[in-house]
Amino acid sequence: MNIAVLIKMVPDTESKLEVNAGELSDQNFKYMVNPYDEFAVEQAVQFKEAEGGKVTLLSLFSEDNSIDTDLRKMLAIGADEIIVLRQNGYKGDKPLANAKILSDAIKELNVDLVLCGIQGIDYYQAATGTMVAQMLNMPNISGVTSLEYNAGILKAKRQIEGGLQTVETATPAVVTCQKDMNKVRFPALKDIMMSKRKPFENKNVENIDSNDISTSESSLPPARDGGEIIEGETTEEKVDKLIEKLKMEAKVI
Amino acid sequence: MSNVLIIGEIDGTEIKNISQQVAAVAAGMGEVTGLVMGSGISEAGMKLAAGKIIMADDSSLENYDPVKYASIASHVAKENDIQTILLGATSMGKDLGPRVAAELNCGYLGDCLEASSEGFVRPNFAGKVLAKSKPSGTVVATIRNNAYPAGEAWSGSVENYSGSITDSTLNTTDVENVGSGTVELTEAAIVVSGGRGLENAENYDSMIRPLAESMGAAAGASRAIVDAGWVSHSHQVGQTGKTVAPELYLAIGISGAIQHLGGMSGSKCIAAINKDPDAPIFKVADYGIVGDLFEILPILKSKF
Ligand SMILES: Cc1cc2nc3c(=O)[nH]c(=O)nc-3n(C[C@H](O)[C@H](O)[C@H](O)COP(=O)(O)OP(=O)(O)OC[C@H]3O[C@@H](n4cnc5c(N)ncnc54)[C@H](O)[C@@H]3O)c2cc1C
Ligand SMILES: Nc1ncnc2c1ncn2[C@@H]1O[C@H](COP(=O)(O)O)[C@@H](O)[C@H]1O
Repeated sequence: MNIAVLIKMVPDTESKLEVNAGELSDQNFKYMVNPYDEFAVEQAVQFKEAEGGKVTLLSLFSEDNSIDTDLRKMLAIGADEIIVLRQNGYKGDKPLANAKILSDAIKELNVDLVLCGIQGIDYYQAATGTMVAQMLNMPNISGVTSLEYNAGILKAKRQIEGGLQTVETATPAVVTCQKDMNKVRFPALKDIMMSKRKPFENKNVENIDSNDISTSESSLPPARDGGEIIEGETTEEKVDKLIEKLKMEAKVI
Repeated sequence: MSNVLIIGEIDGTEIKNISQQVAAVAAGMGEVTGLVMGSGISEAGMKLAAGKIIMADDSSLENYDPVKYASIASHVAKENDIQTILLGATSMGKDLGPRVAAELNCGYLGDCLEASSEGFVRPNFAGKVLAKSKPSGTVVATIRNNAYPAGEAWSGSVENYSGSITDSTLNTTDVENVGSGTVELTEAAIVVSGGRGLENAENYDSMIRPLAESMGAAAGASRAIVDAGWVSHSHQVGQTGKTVAPELYLAIGISGAIQHLGGMSGSKCIAAINKDPDAPIFKVADYGIVGDLFEILPILKSKF
């Protein structure tokens, strides 16, 4: 079973978000692997261990090399190789263009399964995986919390409102991974050493025109002020005051 | 004014409330066509608040299938010269929307907080940045629940979908509902969330869940306790969990890490209970009680 895992490099969750003149400044961002994509890597490696085959990691990113160490950690988990598509002027908020480039690269790999994260924690579009599926003419299953594979058939459970939907499909298919799917392993020292020798290929790709919608203005939501700490002689009094305020002032209960 | 297509969702014999919210948004944007897909849906589908309703009613459409649904939606969009396609940001909408956009080769905006002919606003970085856009071409957008009031049910003219239905290898074999009466986190008006301050899973089950139930609220969680295995990830609020914007968010024994705040700071009112007066959660809370949750919760529970 050959599997491609799509890895998005996203700004670290501690990155300071600054907006200047309506534009989000990405100057000081440090990047990390999108957390959901780690579940995809773990799942791919588990399938490889059971079925044989190869796990190829694919990431479209800028020409900034500072991410290479972080990406190699995904090889230490057990993936076989990594291809980074380097694009001058890469933007994480162009799902249509990015999906087009990624799906063209996947076509060359001849895979049975494409695994993605459910969403990038940067722009929150949750779009790329599903778009890739459409472009490769494959079915997509998104928000999957458990995935099984048996003789060419995938069985997935996906989160829906108030429950789970179980979906089956023949491969090839695209699955986007949600958190409960598995527990990402900590690589052993030996695997970390081995990962340094695994193929790490950089390929340049051109910018392409697309119908993606650009942001005309970014802003920070109005800061919330710290509110009122409720005082009282006894706990009971504090609780009563809280309920009173929620009812009468905030009118939310 | 543009031509707007809304994709309605059915829940039993009713149109989902979120779909009527989307219909109300669409009404302000142009001429509205509604599309409803499913099996045995004609009665519920008629209630969608749209001037014209296209019904794709077929046994092969009983369960949501992105391949079939996206091909029908894009067929209908082309036939009706649609510029704007709106869906609810539900598990179906968020899956279907991008596929339809790819099929139409048009822009996609996920999980919008605002949508009107003036433009769209959507959250980036779990709501820590708001991104405004004014699409000039065709666009598919999903709209977050509770962002707008619902439109009233009324029936416009009804047409049956006459195009073909694509083959798909997808097959839904089971739909499992977890616990009747549980309120879905992203749809709840009140969310009661617990964190590591609860000390163990048993306390979450015996204190947070019953309080949530008696307040008619959904039970949420910080990542710390999801990672610890006390509750499933479907309860997690935050940057790598769900984004919620209820009327009231009650944070109990949660410190208020930046990644948690990202998922709930859009709530109308935030109340926090924490024994540490310097916990960051108090910086965003409208009301706070500094104290031991094990003392406070039993009293709070007794009031509901
Ligand atoms: C990439 C990344 C993504 C993340 N995504 C998320 C996310 O989506 N959601 C999320 O929640 N976190 C997320 N986190 C984790 C986040 O940084 C915090 O670690 C987490 O939110 C802490 O959870 P907590 O508040 O329950 O625990 P703690 O930070 O340990 O806080 C426990 C609180 O309970 C209080 N307390 C203890 N005992 C009592 C008592 N008896 N009475 C009253 N109060 C008491 C303490 O004062 C403390 O404030 C993410 C982190 C990373 C790195
Ligand atoms: N630039 C990229 N390179 C590789 N994979 C990506 C890229 N952008 C998005 N993805 C994949 O698509 C998923 C959803 O991302 P998004 O649509 O940006 O929310 C991510 O979790 C990745 O698996």
